[in-house]
Amino acid sequence: MTEEVNKEELKQKVLEYLAKKPWQVRDLAKVLRVKKRELDKIVQELINEGKAAYWSSGSTTYVTTKDKLEEMEKKRSGT
Amino acid sequence: MTDVELPETPLLDELEKGPWPSFVKEIKRAAIEQEKAMKAGKKIKLPGAAKGLLKVLELAYKEKRTHWKHGGIVAVVGYGGGVIGRYCDLEDKVPEVWHFHTMRINMPSGWFYQTKALRAICDAWEKWGSGLTNFHGSTGDIILLGTRTEYLQPMANALAYLDKLYGSPAPFDIGGSGSDLRTPSACMGPALCEFACYDTLKACYEFTMRYQNELHRPMWPYKFKIKCSGCPNDCVAAKARSDFAIIGTWKDEIQIDQEAVKEYAKVIDIEKQVVKKCPTGAISWDGKELKIDNRECIRCMHCINVMPKALKPGKERGATILIGGKAPFVDGAIIGWVAIPFIPENELIEKCCEVLEAIWEWWDEEGKFRERVGELIWRKGMDEFLKVINQKADVRMVYAPRNNPFIFWRELNQ
Repeated sequence: MTEEVNKEELKQKVLEYLAKKPWQVRDLAKVLRVKKRELDKIVQELINEGKAAYWSSGSTTYVTTKDKLEEMEKKRSGT
Repeated sequence: MTDVELPETPLLDELEKGPWPSFVKEIKRAAIEQEKAMKAGKKIKLPGAAKGLLKVLELAYKEKRTHWKHGGIVAVVGYGGGVIGRYCDLEDKVPEVWHFHTMRINMPSGWFYQTKALRAICDAWEKWGSGLTNFHGSTGDIILLGTRTEYLQPMANALAYLDKLYGSPAPFDIGGSGSDLRTPSACMGPALCEFACYDTLKACYEFTMRYQNELHRPMWPYKFKIKCSGCPNDCVAAKARSDFAIIGTWKDEIQIDQEAVKEYAKVIDIEKQVVKKCPTGAISWDGKELKIDNRECIRCMHCINVMPKALKPGKERGATILIGGKAPFVDGAIIGWVAIPFIPENELIEKCCEVLEAIWEWWDEEGKFRERVGELIWRKGMDEFLKVINQKADVRMVYAPRNNPFIFWRELNQ
């Protein structure tokens, strides 16, 4: 039960970070002080739930929230 | 010849003058076809895309600079790879190609298609993209060149239902890009070649299906490539171009058909073209019988390639695993290092999966950002890597076993 709560808390925290800017999972894992493998799983869940999405710089892939992604694309296209 | 007006492209026109097939000619043809289709009332999602591409290319050659910016939304739900965002910085001058994203499509093992499949891919791409393709890109995928962000998802859907919507014998999926498992590739193996020492097509298919998550969701320090070559000829250049090269080989003796050797002796100089070309001097020929000292054979394949009807790989077949190869454009190429000298054919796929998963866990934990697995081995040492894959050091673990994977036929005749 506690583990579940902690996981949900972490998930929420991850979403908050992703909403600010696109992250590479390994960098976010360092900031949140969690194992990268654990964070990988959480990010996958967020993507499956449609809350997070990928963004590519062209050579590197980042993860961010859907809203942030749309905001960045609007900025890019000048609309 | 045609009433379609193409932009003036004096510099690009130069590229049509050589004896080789020209991409310029193909883009021009696509521009003409597209214009004709539009005049005939066909709805085109990217009107004038091929024409726009000609304009941007001409300008790039003239100014000696690119007008492409890359990066951006990946846009296919749940996928982190396979779409390479491309935007043109001339959106005012050439709006036709302002968005010009590339899609990488997972090709079938060994690049075998039915024509129906090819037609279906092209039909879908003419509907949702520029209609321009590149069969195949350097990693092997089918490359679909140029579409807008809003058409990426519909195109991915079209591929997923290509059988139902476009009459393809099978649906298709997006391939890999970014820091993920790139689309595994294989030579045509036993489907076409009698030298194949294992079923490359099956291996490639198994890896692709088993590692879908790794293929579609980038999570590693950098890219990782698997290539399957059926024999040491290494037709997919696995040793030079993949992090994990599976190269077919054999343990026992080269099979010799002495009668067929005698037939070859009527048309080639066996002494000059085979015996003297053996890098370890393992072959002898007395005009009646060809002998090979198999302990000296380094699997260069030369004798087998010259006399394929007379010589065949041995019967005890399997593969060698080479690790850490890469071939970047500019600098830093590494030839794979032998990590597992021999895995029997019947254990090959399972053993590879076991080793792959151990490598990925280690590399993901220890690798620096944009560090390929070969570079990590250089940094940490082969000794540590062998512990990761649970192998003991062995004299057969040759570093860069062959610098040049190609035979130059001109040299053969000297």
